[in-house]
Amino acid sequence: MNYGPLIFLAAFFALAGSWSGFVLTPQLQIGRLQQTNTIGNPTAAYPVARPGLAQQGLDVYRANGCAYCHSQQVGQTGTVLEIALTDAGTNHPPIIAALLKLAAAPADGPTVLTALPQLEAARTNGGSAMLLDGLPKAFLRSSSREGANAAIKALYAAGAKAQLWIVPVGPDLARGWGSRRTVAEDFLFDAPVMPGSQRVGPDLANMGTRQPNVNLHLLHLYAPQLQMKGSTMPPYRFLFERRKIGLEPSPEALVLPAEVAPPAGYEVVPKPPARALAAYLASLRADAPLFNAPLTVPASATPATSTNAATTAASAK
Amino acid sequence: MSAQPRPSTLTAAETAEPRAGDIALPLWIIVLLFLLLYWGVVYFDQYSGGFSPEVYMPCRSTAELAMYQPPAGAPEFAGGKTVYENVCGLCHGTDGMGKPGQAPPFVNSEWALGNPNRMIRIPLAGLTGPIQVAGQQYNLAMPAMGAALPDDDLAAVLTYIRQSWGNKASAITPEQVKAVRAEIGNRTQPWTAEQLNAIQ
Repeated sequence: MNYGPLIFLAAFFALAGSWSGFVLTPQLQIGRLQQTNTIGNPTAAYPVARPGLAQQGLDVYRANGCAYCHSQQVGQTGTVLEIALTDAGTNHPPIIAALLKLAAAPADGPTVLTALPQLEAARTNGGSAMLLDGLPKAFLRSSSREGANAAIKALYAAGAKAQLWIVPVGPDLARGWGSRRTVAEDFLFDAPVMPGSQRVGPDLANMGTRQPNVNLHLLHLYAPQLQMKGSTMPPYRFLFERRKIGLEPSPEALVLPAEVAPPAGYEVVPKPPARALAAYLASLRADAPLFNAPLTVPASATPATSTNAATTAASAK
Repeated sequence: MSAQPRPSTLTAAETAEPRAGDIALPLWIIVLLFLLLYWGVVYFDQYSGGFSPEVYMPCRSTAELAMYQPPAGAPEFAGGKTVYENVCGLCHGTDGMGKPGQAPPFVNSEWALGNPNRMIRIPLAGLTGPIQVAGQQYNLAMPAMGAALPDDDLAAVLTYIRQSWGNKASAITPEQVKAVRAEIGNRTQPWTAEQLNAIQ
């Protein structure tokens, strides 16, 4: 043991190196993160603080270990530039011709224009009659900004109004878990940040956009298998109170189907933590277009298709 | 068999306490380690967005991030209708019907719907003198309204004229405009109807 100082130095630098990599550098990079503005028109401050009840819900979320099974971070593997038509006027043949010409154009340097399925089908099968129905709609995908601008000009020249859509893509987004990746700004007002690492259940970063209805969140906490058959989520019934109906039923009592309903004369009422947690879940959304997570939100865009059965259950009820 | 211990075969060097000595590290390992270190730093630099806190995966640099910013404000390309309303519409009307006695209409105009080579020349240098449009006689002094427009904007506005208000003529491409511009050079003298009619 005649190398004590050397071993000490080696251990010191090994620990100091990882500390500066994992703690110091991120702190220097985003330690002073502040509220920013969304991009696009109009801009708005982002993020905004959660309403009071939802802020309390974060503590309930933490206390019940929701983060052990649910993540709150959405990944993204790429961004694509799509060329969409917003208005085709009345003179369709030249526009369709321009679209087909663009779809068939050979790759020009770094620019590769790819026809999206509908246009590709029209190009190979020749059935282009219904092509311009249901605008705004994306038709082409470009691999470069210049190529996209040139294609938009060509469509303008043909008499259509075209737009550039910036569309994030990735497996998480394909599952309907969000419209873009999550970035540090999304968690700015959360203390502590609960990003989670396991995905036993679905990602919750955009739970509020998939299910804005607080009552359905409460129902899901009380009996998860009701809305999601085969869910492994445990019921959180200790967040609810089963009590005898007094003079008249509470307006806050859950409306429960027969299989989980309490016996006659009883009602199930959410306790304050359950209401806070439901408010927190309904407040979760990370879909604002930001400079560091750009996307365009088309005016008439349909909300991301949800894999959560809660919405289908809500519409089926 | 006697109980005499067998003589030790260990040498004096083997019985001594082990001591750390100088390890002769082969030179190629040192070179390889430095090459690996260099590659690692290059890789880290390439995928760290230049250490900018703004740049997240999948973007790798601020330039790539800038490429995905949505276009701000006005579109980068005005489009035929906008150009028409800014440049042509004041005299020729937003409905393309023109002004009686001053500006001829575009609707059913044989000049607007006819030979593109003639039509492109008109905004590039202007038009002067008597001209017959859609059965009406005009005496024009049109300035070179389109000379300052870029090729693609001019092509778009001419296409807009040829395909709006019920007009159904072929589109005009920026290449056509460019070719005509090259043909007439830096002509500033307005055209007359006879000169245009001579052009095929």
